[in-house]
Amino acid sequence: MLLVVTYSKAARQTLRNVCNAHDDAVVQRFGRAALFDSTHLGAFLALRLRAKHDADVQVERTAPFNEFADAPDAIREAATAYERREHSSTPYSKFAAGTDHPDPGEMADREL
Amino acid sequence: MRLRIGGEVRTGRAVDLRGVGVEPSAVAAAIRGDGSDASVSISCPSPGPVHEYVGVIRPEMTLSVRSALAAAARSRGHDAPQDDELASVRERLDAFDAHDSSDLALADARRRVADASGAETEARERVATLQGRVQALRETNRDSERLRDAEAELADATRRLSDRETERIAAEQTLVRAREQARAVREDRRERLRLRDRADNLRRTAREHLAGLVREEFEAARERAPGDADSDGEATDSVASALAVARIAALGAPVVVACDRFESAEAAARWLDAPVVRA
Repeated sequence: MLLVVTYSKAARQTLRNVCNAHDDAVVQRFGRAALFDSTHLGAFLALRLRAKHDADVQVERTAPFNEFADAPDAIREAATAYERREHSSTPYSKFAAGTDHPDPGEMADREL
Repeated sequence: MRLRIGGEVRTGRAVDLRGVGVEPSAVAAAIRGDGSDASVSISCPSPGPVHEYVGVIRPEMTLSVRSALAAAARSRGHDAPQDDELASVRERLDAFDAHDSSDLALADARRRVADASGAETEARERVATLQGRVQALRETNRDSERLRDAEAELADATRRLSDRETERIAAEQTLVRAREQARAVREDRRERLRLRDRADNLRRTAREHLAGLVREEFEAARERAPGDADSDGEATDSVASALAVARIAALGAPVVVACDRFESAEAAARWLDAPVVRA
């Protein structure tokens, strides 16, 4: 899908107008951003916004995320284990300390 | 005020210009000091923000009552609790560089990557084709001259592929850098947009607060505003509202009254408690 993010009032307003006029090509709206269908129409709408508002419009292409193919087992297991922790107030860094779970800094430095 | 029209000078809190043939808007411009009509000039205190709403009161006018009331409240020295935060938000907004909002560098980098990838794919296909041909010639092993030619062509194509790869990698690295720069610029823009929204919000809240301070007084003044027997409906309502706003506001500069609601310019000046030019 195409993720369109706006960075000015004018661009945000145009995005709203486009979303209202082309509901069928819009997958999801989030205030100053929206997800467009991965179709020629979606690309056309995104490019219209960019042609009108230049750098105040960011367009990114999203890809589906398959946690079994895209993320290492350790990350998936750490997430599951943390959400099953006993005390909801335990921060993750403390939870991971002294276990095999990766620490947050380490995760932040590794590309997916 | 001291008003000069043609060769004549009029002074006082109320001046009647009916029958002189001067447009109310020309008088208002003269009050603002930016009149293009040199036949009218007025010495008077500078008009404040309230004048933007009720500087000229005429039957065809429209009025944004809440904004006008907020301006009237300010004219009387009222402040809004949002003023300090609004000032600091404005200061932070002013601190942002007015940088070029062009996405050209990034768009150019994207195009280069797309072109370079296309060229690389073409070169790779060419290499694959030649590899096939060389393989076939080697297997049949009959035409050594054609084999040599094909091998030379393959070597050439392989070199070219390697060049295209290098170009594509360079283009990708440029794109990565351009994207990082764009990301930093966008952070700025996102913050600026957030501040603008905040400023709008504060302005709205301040306006509501200020309007609320004088609303009761305004309603009472509007009830008592002199009516117009000839007209009713929305236009009348705007005039009554404008008169009421002008009455409750503290006005130093004259108001141009271009409606038949008062017997005289003096009567208007008394009711509005402001200098008046009847036009």
